[in-house]
Amino acid sequence: MCAASGPPSRFSRKFWPFGDRGATGCHNNGINFYNFYASINQKLARGAEILYGDEEASLLPPARPCPLRVPRIGLYAGSGTSHSWLWFVDLFDRMFFHDVVFLDEDMVKNGVLKNLDVFAMSGGDTIRIAEGLGAEGAYELERFIGEGGLYVGSCAGAYLPLKSSKQHLDRFNFVDIKIANISKTAPTVKQLGRKATTAYGCDYVYHPVREEVRLRSTEKGPFSGVGSFLAPLYGGPSMVTGNASEIMAQYDAFTKKTLFLVDETLAEKTLIGNVAAVRSELGNGVLYLFGPHFEHPHFPIANHLVANAIFWDMKKSSVGGTSGMSEIVLDGAAKRKLVRDIKREISNARIVSVGLEAASVRWTIGCKIYEPEKIRVFLEAIWKRLGRLEQSPRIQISNQTLEEMTPSACEVTRILREVKSRIDDRLETQGIAPHLFDSLRRLTMFCLQTYFNSLLLDN
Amino acid sequence: MDYLSSNKILIVNLESGEITEDELDDELVSHRIGGVGITSSLYETYKDKDPIVLGTGLLTGSLFPGSALGIISAKSAKTGEVAHSPLTLKAGMELKYTGFDYVVVLGKAVKPVFLWLHDGVADIQDASEIWGSDVWKASDHIRRSMGDDLIQTLVVGPAAESGSELAQVCINYWGSGDCWGFGKSFGEKNLKAIALRGMGLLEISEPEDFVDQCFELFEKIKKGSFMGKTGIQDIFSAMGENDATEWILPLVHRNSACYNTPYATNTFLYLSEDPKTLTEPDEPEPGFLVTDPCALLGFKRAGLSAKDAGSVMKACAKYGINPLAVAEFCVKSGEKDPENIEKSLKDLEGPVSVPDCGRFSYWAPGKPLFSNFDASDTSEYGAWWKRRQAVAYIFGIHPIFANMAPELSEELMLEMVNKGTGLELNQDILDKVIEDVCS
Repeated sequence: MCAASGPPSRFSRKFWPFGDRGATGCHNNGINFYNFYASINQKLARGAEILYGDEEASLLPPARPCPLRVPRIGLYAGSGTSHSWLWFVDLFDRMFFHDVVFLDEDMVKNGVLKNLDVFAMSGGDTIRIAEGLGAEGAYELERFIGEGGLYVGSCAGAYLPLKSSKQHLDRFNFVDIKIANISKTAPTVKQLGRKATTAYGCDYVYHPVREEVRLRSTEKGPFSGVGSFLAPLYGGPSMVTGNASEIMAQYDAFTKKTLFLVDETLAEKTLIGNVAAVRSELGNGVLYLFGPHFEHPHFPIANHLVANAIFWDMKKSSVGGTSGMSEIVLDGAAKRKLVRDIKREISNARIVSVGLEAASVRWTIGCKIYEPEKIRVFLEAIWKRLGRLEQSPRIQISNQTLEEMTPSACEVTRILREVKSRIDDRLETQGIAPHLFDSLRRLTMFCLQTYFNSLLLDN
Repeated sequence: MDYLSSNKILIVNLESGEITEDELDDELVSHRIGGVGITSSLYETYKDKDPIVLGTGLLTGSLFPGSALGIISAKSAKTGEVAHSPLTLKAGMELKYTGFDYVVVLGKAVKPVFLWLHDGVADIQDASEIWGSDVWKASDHIRRSMGDDLIQTLVVGPAAESGSELAQVCINYWGSGDCWGFGKSFGEKNLKAIALRGMGLLEISEPEDFVDQCFELFEKIKKGSFMGKTGIQDIFSAMGENDATEWILPLVHRNSACYNTPYATNTFLYLSEDPKTLTEPDEPEPGFLVTDPCALLGFKRAGLSAKDAGSVMKACAKYGINPLAVAEFCVKSGEKDPENIEKSLKDLEGPVSVPDCGRFSYWAPGKPLFSNFDASDTSEYGAWWKRRQAVAYIFGIHPIFANMAPELSEELMLEMVNKGTGLELNQDILDKVIEDVCS
């Protein structure tokens, strides 16, 4: 950990652009956080030595000088995750955190975490995620953090390590933090009923608002200097912390874009003044838990805080190693054919998915509702990166991915066409939906892993 | 070409299955502008291989009013010369967004195929299942199997498969402006259809100016002489065929415009249900979308009732045969019974008249509509019509709409293309291209 309390003397205010202005000044200052982190990470990837406190790292909060390095990040995309891990993908891509490994539950269980500096988990169905990871996954995660790893969790990723006696979740009691948005009785819901409450054992977890909320930083460590800022809340927790945790940000206010799912007074009581972001230590490692989605691509200051937290608290020294999968470099006709085959199927799938968006249908998977619009979020995440793979003279890909990626893409198109055909014939599609989203998730993992591997190759 | 273009020319050899791509060279655009200027050029390049060339204008698929047009250029089964046919409805726009500006189809497939163009990808797909199907069933099959109702299809029917020179390339379920027998060319290549879908974007060199000017132009055009007019019934009036207007009106259910075209040039007739019905029809096929005013008028001249004329046009579209030619046979034979006409479709052969229209489809009425374009001498309409069609086919403007909107001047189209592409095309270049494609 690089952090130190208070700014070191060599860190003069003139290098610290946020000053005392707080509030929303960051963006108004014309600072492009993405370019800043991209620049640092590019230089680090090329072997440059940059220290905390150097002028070119001046947007990072005050800390003792120590060398920066590009972290190796594991992004969880296993069973139970929703589409929101793709927001982390955008953040990492834009900020040039390109050493990313996409993980499912089997990879976690098989010990891939030991090669990582950071583990990131976004939203989804917390219980399904916990169930998928199981006792082995919980053990591996706890060991990873305990040995100095950094856990960054938002929404479901924040719920997962909280204190719980509920089956599956009880293996993940990593921190002494409780959920505040829990009740013995389900509150009266104003709208979006199924997104507003979820049964949680004998209790109910309820989500008072969705969309944008205003948060206030406690100005500690990597959160210093930002004042208040915005982030979107999509079912993430409001937290009650014990003494061992540092509160990093609190829910401060609602905005015009806040969508109230329950009575405003209850929403205020549940959220305002309560903990939205927390930093907690476990062994030699650290967890950052964010109720709102700090990684959402429309919220640059919140994104900046994620990046700050990574640089602030990632493992002191690189463990090195690889994901354990043998990888090859494809170029020439073989590379062109693979990318063309993938492009063909992603195009086919996008075309069907756009048509599905007009259908009045939604699916329930676990305790989550999936609308047809979510299909295209996965496909677009791939589509917008295919151009880079087309232009790149070579790509780096694992043997397993090479074998499975094209059939997996064909399978997604096939399922989507079947779903469309069944909807046209007014037949049910609930039975196919879990397979569809599971296939989409796996395909997206394959494609994005290849994309990030190839970026590293180009770097 | 970076702007108003996908920068790709696709070459598909159906015989070998080889698919290649060329860049659309700025130099070619600087000399031939686009649309029929370039499809003609590509036709010449590949003419020994009997090509079918598809293309779009630089304005096709943009916000410029009337920017609906795609083009098929090929050798006409009727005239033996290269000719051009319009792709309207949403087909021209969709072709532009497939990611290919031009498509050259060469050779004959070993077995029936359809070409699937989507997002910059071209696939030759097996069409065995739909070979022998009528146009409607083939279109349904393609849309259903590919999983999207918005796919635009250029489809041929049994007429093409049997080698009829009257065979037409239909658009989705409806007739098209193909009066050149291009359907036969598709059939000879074992090409049942070309399916189009793309979700790309067009880059514009000066986007804000271009879009603002398009909107201003729309406002200006909306005050034009066709204001308050709609559908084929009012086109008939503008052609001086007021009787035809009265004849068709009782069957009109709705009028429908092609992509971004301010005038609705297509009219849906209800043939088996009350056209005043606004709810969902009881029957799956209650009527027919008339896209060819001249053909409809032809059946009136043959003495058919409006309802029978609509029924025969529907049968023509399913069979994939040019209804204007069928109407001419009806006039000659005196046949007025729709069932007999439908039964005779497979046996129709022989020459049909081709008006003096150069290489452009005479599907577009032969004179200005709702405006005389400041021409005092109406005897000059022939030359005016050819030039006007050439301009529409070069830039990608709906050919019927081009004949009713004098606001869309050649100068304005050049200005907008230059604004959209960053090129510096001028009237001299345009004149040369027009002269070439009209010769």
